[in-house]
Amino acid sequence: MAQADEAQGWLYDGVSAIRQEVALALVDGRPVLRFSDGRTEPLDGLTAADVDRDSLVYRRAGRDGWQLTLPRPLPDALKAALPRDAVYGRWIDRIGLGPAVAAGLAVSLIVLAGGAYLPQLLAPLVPRAWERNYGNALVGDFGGKYCAGPGGQQALNALAARLRPGARDFDVRVVDIPIVNAAALPGGHIVIFRELLAEADGPDEVAGVLGHEIAHVEHRDVTEAMIRELGFGLVIASLGGTTGGNANAMLATRYGRDAESDADRAAIATLAAAGISPRPTAGFFARLAKQEKKLGRLGDALGYISTHPTSAGRQARFHNAARPRASYAPALSEEQWNALVDICHNDPKRRKARRAGA
Amino acid sequence: MNDMHAAPTRHEDAPASGFEFTGAWREFLPIALTNLLLTIVTLGIYRFWAKARERRYLWSRTRFIDDRLEWTGTGLEMFIGFLLVMAMLVPIVLFLQFGVQALVLRGQFLIASIAILALYLGLFYLIGVALFRALRYRLSRSYWHGIRGGSDEPGWAYGWSALWKYAAAGVTLGLLTPWTQTRLWNERWNAMSFGPYAFGADADTKGLKTRWLMIYVAGFAAAILLTATSFMAVLGAAGTPNAGGTGLPVPQFTWTAFLGILGFYLVIVIASLAYYAAFFRKAIGSTRLAGLGFSFTARTRDWLMLILGNIGLVVVTLGVGLIFLSYRNWAFAMRHLEASGEIDLDALTQSPTRAATDAEGLASAFDIGAL
Repeated sequence: MAQADEAQGWLYDGVSAIRQEVALALVDGRPVLRFSDGRTEPLDGLTAADVDRDSLVYRRAGRDGWQLTLPRPLPDALKAALPRDAVYGRWIDRIGLGPAVAAGLAVSLIVLAGGAYLPQLLAPLVPRAWERNYGNALVGDFGGKYCAGPGGQQALNALAARLRPGARDFDVRVVDIPIVNAAALPGGHIVIFRELLAEADGPDEVAGVLGHEIAHVEHRDVTEAMIRELGFGLVIASLGGTTGGNANAMLATRYGRDAESDADRAAIATLAAAGISPRPTAGFFARLAKQEKKLGRLGDALGYISTHPTSAGRQARFHNAARPRASYAPALSEEQWNALVDICHNDPKRRKARRAGA
Repeated sequence: MNDMHAAPTRHEDAPASGFEFTGAWREFLPIALTNLLLTIVTLGIYRFWAKARERRYLWSRTRFIDDRLEWTGTGLEMFIGFLLVMAMLVPIVLFLQFGVQALVLRGQFLIASIAILALYLGLFYLIGVALFRALRYRLSRSYWHGIRGGSDEPGWAYGWSALWKYAAAGVTLGLLTPWTQTRLWNERWNAMSFGPYAFGADADTKGLKTRWLMIYVAGFAAAILLTATSFMAVLGAAGTPNAGGTGLPVPQFTWTAFLGILGFYLVIVIASLAYYAAFFRKAIGSTRLAGLGFSFTARTRDWLMLILGNIGLVVVTLGVGLIFLSYRNWAFAMRHLEASGEIDLDALTQSPTRAATDAEGLASAFDIGAL
């Protein structure tokens, strides 16, 4: 005798595997289960588990395996007394699919924008002392690979002082690793790798590269990359699986290009202020392009050391920056330049280490 | 009166199978499409809820003997399980990343390499544990007649076992792989239970070793054939007068090389499928639960058709078909999974195992499945 507010269904009680025929009825507006032997049981803690073509499934909190299946559609009065259908997930079911998609889209855009701009906004707020500590822990003494040939470091310091008189935000060292590159590392550590000096035709070329790395330090590009690497990249990549990972990779490359061309512009301005010709640097970049692949293993391990896009446009920018009637002076004297070029070769400690390694 | 026969009647026209998949792709399509949409707009976070919805549908459309299965895992618990694992793994990965960078900058390539090796071994160990836990979690959320499965083992020991058994397979150039895989299958399933009953598995490598070796043989044979035919093609073309003595015209030669290499991979894939088809027939056929025995009927050709169908679907739909693969794979598994024997419903009581709460977080951290 099915009534308007009653439905026949079946129950597994989660204790045994026996299927029981039951009826669900309303008593004082609340759902009550009636068993075939006439027993009744009020249904508290009911949750909607599943909806499909012809049935509704309910479970009960704290009752492992308890499962009530009712036919669809249910009488309206009964349906109203039961929990809302579970389809997409609780929050989405509450507001509906359309609004949920819109809300998700809006939040995602905010998160992506945050991921893109927050490191840039936060970077200037990181105290230099923190960054310096982090940089010192990371870099140390570069495995004892700093070169200290006589007069070399003085020449390098003189070059740095000419580009940035009185600056204290960075230090520059030459590292005895045979690759043609330079890098700005956390904490204002600028390193020039040995082979870059060998490849350079004169001090002006090194001045251009150094100006570029100084710009990275002053613009807090390294700090920004550090934040991105430690923070948002990780959060987005781990939370979002592939979708978020792709988005993050996209952001990272975009940032890279902007920061590089900004640093180039700053380097040109620095050279102009110091009265050094930018033209030799253009020639150097042309030669660097051929060497770029040599970064290899080191480049893989250090995500944020300068990714140097060597393009025709980049060379042209330096080349065209030279003013025709300007009077340029060499960045270093002949004597200083010789000391700098041989800074590793003239360092007895490095010579010994290299012999031992070979 | 409550004995349920897995294959109660053996009609001539009806296949005797305890499992039946009653799903329809038209029902699954709206689920898959809304899942895709929500996953995109949540930057992937919804994928846990998507998985729960997908399984709820697939399980509910799978009948075992007289009633359907039910999946009770929720997106929220899978999301939390994933977050917990990330909270543990991320600091370790960050520390190692910083440490390796610092070591590389100091020129300590050897120590850096050792640290990276340790990281990979650790990850490999955790993948073993994750596989075990994913299976345990799935059983503990799969109900039939209101009864679920599970395991009381945490899987840490299984992780070590998997690590050294795969290492043993590695140092023997893969020759021990069938032994490794059958042993690990047995170890996993012998630790699992459903209701009051323990699963049992005693798969051996009989019949698998030959198929495994065939992958090597087929690979070598295909490589030799490939080398020989490309050599002949170059020589033959060079000899014909209208080729001008410069070998095959470039486009034709490229095509020959392309088809040759494709053929080489195809041979390897088919030989591997032949092994895995035999492996699953053997492994599932050696697995029991109380009075029930299982078997899996998919042959190499069936697997090949499944994979070709999957690839075709994805290509034709320009990738959108990816959302349908779980459906196709599940339907395939249920079509070929059979059970025999009987189970006593009066004795089938609730599982005494603790319901797993880690929700395959470790497995989703590595993005792997349970089998």
